[in-house]
Amino acid sequence: MLVLRRRAGESLLIGDDIEVELLAVSAQGAKIGIRAPRETIVLRKELKITEEQNMRAAEGPAVADFGAALKKLRG
Amino acid sequence: MPTVETKYFGTMEYREESVYEFPHGLPAFENERQFVLIEQPESKPLVFLQSLARSSLCFLAFPMWAVDPNYQLGISHEGLGLDTERQPAQGSDVLVLALVALRAKFSATANLMAPVVVNLNTRQALQAIRSDSLYSCEHVLERATAEGMC
Repeated sequence: MLVLRRRAGESLLIGDDIEVELLAVSAQGAKIGIRAPRETIVLRKELKITEEQNMRAAEGPAVADFGAALKKLRG
Repeated sequence: MPTVETKYFGTMEYREESVYEFPHGLPAFENERQFVLIEQPESKPLVFLQSLARSSLCFLAFPMWAVDPNYQLGISHEGLGLDTERQPAQGSDVLVLALVALRAKFSATANLMAPVVVNLNTRQALQAIRSDSLYSCEHVLERATAEGMC
C-alpha cells in the first residue's frame, strides 16, 4: 500500500480525474473530500462488506438442512 | 389474520405487530422493506426475519445479548429516530439483532459490525453500519456458544 502524509487542505490525485482532499483532521477522524466523475462509485468499505455479508446471510441453510443447522447454531 | 409464505415454516399467520419496516431495505436488499419477525420455541434465542414480499428470503439472526452481552450500540439517537436523551434500552426501546451467515460444515458467524436495529415503539428498522472497527463482521459463533457452556 502506498502511504502518503498529507495535511488539511492538501490533495492527492488518482489517475487523471480523481482528486482526494484531506479537509480536516480531528480526534474523531479525518474528513475527506472526493472529486471524481459521476460514474465513479465511491463507497465506505463497511457498506461493501455489509452487502457481501448480507448476501451470504441470505443464503441461509438449505430447507433440507434446516434442522441440522438449527441444532448446530444452538450448540 | 394475514398470512406469509415462509422459507422454512410453510404458510404462517402473523400479527401486524410482528412486521418491521425497513424504509431503506438492507444493503444488497434495498427493495425488501418489510420483514416479519418469527420466533420459534424450539430455536430460541435464534429468530427469523422473513421477507413479506419474497418467501425465499429469510435471515437467521440472534439477539445481540445472546452473542455478546456487553455489546455497545453506539448509534446516535437521530439515527434511531428516538427523541430521548437517555441511552436506548436494548429489549424495551430497541431490539438489536446480529445477522447469521453459515460457513462450510454449518460453522456460522454473526455480523456484529452491522447490527439490525429495530425501534420497538415505531417498528421502524435499519441495518446500522459501524465504522469504529470495534466489532467483527464475521464473529465466530461456535466459540461464543462454547464459552457459554463452560
